[in-house]
Amino acid sequence: MVRGHVSAAGCFARGVKLSLSRPYLAASLWLIQLLLASVLVLPVSNALHTLLDHSSSGSRMVADPDFGWWETIRRVHPDLLGNFPDAVESATSVEGVKSSALAELEGIGATAISLCFLGVVLHAFALGGIFGALREPHGSLLVFGREGMRRFPAFLAFTLAAMAAALAAYRWIYLASGEAWRDRLNDLDTEGQAMVLTAARLLAFLLVLAAIKLVADSVRAIWVARPDLPAVSRFFAGLAAAFSRPARLFGVLLLYLLSGTALYVLWIVLDPSAGGEARFALVPLILAQQVFVFLRSLLKVGYYAGVSEALTRVPSPEYFYVPAPAIDEPLALVDRAADEARVERPTGSI
Amino acid sequence: MPRAKGRSALLTFASCASTALSLLCGARAPLTAAPLTRPIASYQISCRLDTEKKTIEGTELLAWTNITAKPAPTLQFHLYLNAFRNTVSTFWRESGGEHRGNRLPQSWGSIELTRMMLADGSDLLPALSYISPDDGNPYDRTVAEVQLPRAVAPGETISVSIDFRSRLPRISTRTGWKGDFYLVGQWFPKIGVLQDRGWNCHQFHASSEFFADFGDYDVSIDLPARYRGKVGATGVRVEERNLPGDRVLYRFRQESVHDFAWTADPEYIVVDDVFREPGVADAQIHLLLQPEHRGQQARYLQATKTAFSGYGRVLGPYPYSTLTVVDPPWGAGGAGGMEYPTFITGGTHRMAPASVQSPEGVTIHEFGHQYFYGLLASNEFEEPWLDEGFNEYMEDRVVGAAYGSSHPVLTAFGFRFPIGIAIHRPLDTNRRYFSVATEDVLASAAWKFRTRTSYGAQIYSKTALVMATLERLIGTQTMNRALRLYADRWRFRHPTTADWIAAVHDATGRDYRWFFDRTFFSSGAVDYAVVEAKSERWTPPKGLFESDGRLVEKPPPELAAAKGWASVITVARLGDVAMPVDIVLRFDGGHTYRSAWDGEARWKRFRVDRGPRLLEAIVDPSEKILLDVDRTNNGRLVHADPRAASRWTSRAVFWMQNLIDSLTIAW
Repeated sequence: MVRGHVSAAGCFARGVKLSLSRPYLAASLWLIQLLLASVLVLPVSNALHTLLDHSSSGSRMVADPDFGWWETIRRVHPDLLGNFPDAVESATSVEGVKSSALAELEGIGATAISLCFLGVVLHAFALGGIFGALREPHGSLLVFGREGMRRFPAFLAFTLAAMAAALAAYRWIYLASGEAWRDRLNDLDTEGQAMVLTAARLLAFLLVLAAIKLVADSVRAIWVARPDLPAVSRFFAGLAAAFSRPARLFGVLLLYLLSGTALYVLWIVLDPSAGGEARFALVPLILAQQVFVFLRSLLKVGYYAGVSEALTRVPSPEYFYVPAPAIDEPLALVDRAADEARVERPTGSI
Repeated sequence: MPRAKGRSALLTFASCASTALSLLCGARAPLTAAPLTRPIASYQISCRLDTEKKTIEGTELLAWTNITAKPAPTLQFHLYLNAFRNTVSTFWRESGGEHRGNRLPQSWGSIELTRMMLADGSDLLPALSYISPDDGNPYDRTVAEVQLPRAVAPGETISVSIDFRSRLPRISTRTGWKGDFYLVGQWFPKIGVLQDRGWNCHQFHASSEFFADFGDYDVSIDLPARYRGKVGATGVRVEERNLPGDRVLYRFRQESVHDFAWTADPEYIVVDDVFREPGVADAQIHLLLQPEHRGQQARYLQATKTAFSGYGRVLGPYPYSTLTVVDPPWGAGGAGGMEYPTFITGGTHRMAPASVQSPEGVTIHEFGHQYFYGLLASNEFEEPWLDEGFNEYMEDRVVGAAYGSSHPVLTAFGFRFPIGIAIHRPLDTNRRYFSVATEDVLASAAWKFRTRTSYGAQIYSKTALVMATLERLIGTQTMNRALRLYADRWRFRHPTTADWIAAVHDATGRDYRWFFDRTFFSSGAVDYAVVEAKSERWTPPKGLFESDGRLVEKPPPELAAAKGWASVITVARLGDVAMPVDIVLRFDGGHTYRSAWDGEARWKRFRVDRGPRLLEAIVDPSEKILLDVDRTNNGRLVHADPRAASRWTSRAVFWMQNLIDSLTIAW
């Protein structure tokens, strides 16, 4: 088990390799996202077909977005998107968006936000499955489901706590600093200074966001890796683990974000959606889109595996690693924490 | 009002001495070969900027001529800076403490008159009172009236000497300071316009600009020496000299203008250039650029020259010898995008990509005001569309011809990223009108719009779309003729909407009053739609038909044997306003049928029997009627084409997946 120093790049690379060796994990993530997004297929599709199929504007819209059509639809059919585009714009503005914007959402925009919240909940389930399955020598979709359900209450709590912390960071770091500087921003000598200030606000927020995420992911990883500890100990061990290897964890996160961004850049440069059917017919376009989402999911699983690697590849003197039992073997109670005993003891064999 | 104090009196003396010296030196020779217009309100102003107190103390010698047919027992003055005096001024109440979406800083401005005397020594100050002709606001101090001891007879010219103290606000709306930067506009007591119906002297409103008589301006500005070489103003600089106390004096003169503004900033990079084009006189360009925008110098200059050329070719040559272009610093956005005679302010961002067309668009727009605001000088209080709207239309033409479509930027966290969507002029740039199309009648006084959004959308955007629609109806050459006729006929004469309509009539030989009644003087919307377009195989008719004088149950051979398609098309007028529109029917085999419809009825139906199969019906296919609030219903395909909807559905699902994915990254 002991390999000496493991770099962030090494952890991430190994994570991606693990992800590739268990493609069903990425497929599960992809499927969850697809199922959630497909809730919008009928409303969006019906609205668009009604608006475009018999309209002469439609032919212009096959290839590229048409600013006039977009402006008209937002104005003539406010029920479709509501103020969703405005809320997104505000969220990324210098001032930021207040939670009161939620009260004004309607139509597809409001549905999208609800789906995103549902996505967060399902993501908590998926994370339990991913971390659990990654530690099994013979993973399978069944293991993913079982581990996901087994960890779900705890992981949902972690996810909600992390989400609350992230939203608090947005409110009290990004928004609050913006409010504090709002009237003084214009007193700066140059726009460059104002941009530096905004960048500093954004950076501070992102760093705190990264810290929240890494702490949450460390707790999740240790929660799975140390079933021998009581729940409270596991939680604090996870917290401690995040602070014991911050650089390595941050490196893994950075590599994940950079590779994800590179994928987006590639997508934007190639832009299979543009140019109409001359570039991509509908079916190849949909396939390309789903392959892209799947690749993003592979990277995401790779990241979680990388975090797990970063935290557990080099054993710390205070604990040792106990491999989880194989799926087809009866689970031993001694390997499980007391709080999981009821979940772990099904009446029959698994 | 307090009487003049010692310092002010000294300043008055200095001013008179300076003027006398100028006269002796012959510096008052005309700047142009012949006066462009007869002066009605001319000003000699000497002022001193106190950068610590942010105040200007000045003395003004006003020469004013009563050109009406009636005696004038009173004088009325604009005291614009009092708009910033407190939160109960009419300007502040109407603005709600915001300008261009930015909160107004609570930095107060004011203008006080400390002495006002006629040439015969009559003291006018005791007879001064504040009036609020527009809204009766007792706390507004932007218009003052003085009773004269003797009425000014028609044709008579009087001189009024005024001492004033102006306190400048932190810049928010066109005038003020930010750090060491000053944009000084609407800063001196300015006489209103006397018309046969009385004084035309409106209060300073949140949504209005200005109206004044032409005259000659001679202004001396005394400021700290650190501003040496970094001062710009209306007109031509005729003097620069050192003053005791580490100060410097600049003197500017300009004939035949109706306002005066100036700026100073020790940070300015001063760039001089010349606009030169065959057949027109050279014009000096003074660009006062912020160091942060050094890289955009060429863009500013190119845009200025494009404007000189583009406007000049349609509206006639620019008659002045100079133009000063000001680039305001960061945090002084309220100073940007403003026009004064021979003096404009632009505005840009540090990393503005060329595709955004800024500073190009704003520079060209503000230059355009040199014609509509500067030379024609319509009443912007009462008919603001004649300046802002006409200029918006011309800007779209000039910018569109020179730079093509623009591309907006996506702004995220204060950073700008270009995106590939094309914004076409004039339709896309004026789409804000459609959101408030029926909210107000365009032809309303500037402060009488329901909201400031409506004011902007109607005055700028609707007018631009009205003018562009007119151009498409009468043709560009005829439109140019009308514009040139209007510009030549009314230069320096304050034209009204009726004068423009008359110019269109004279240029086209037709009466277009109906068009303006439905656009300028209406709040109705235009919306045409193809509400029905279907095509079915022709089936021989059934029933009883005449044959050899008898009724038989058999259709005549030409109907029975006929083949082809039966098509029905219904075009409807959904909006209140009618416009003449073209209708195009496209058939299989490349056949096209074009019809003109006066658009008056609520709907019109076309039937085509035994013809080729109908593919598509389009109303207003050439997009002449730019006022149509919903163009997505202007064309209808007979057979559905699901490609666009399917592709955009796939995009929507794809980006929804990405949104869910991205949101779950964070936690």
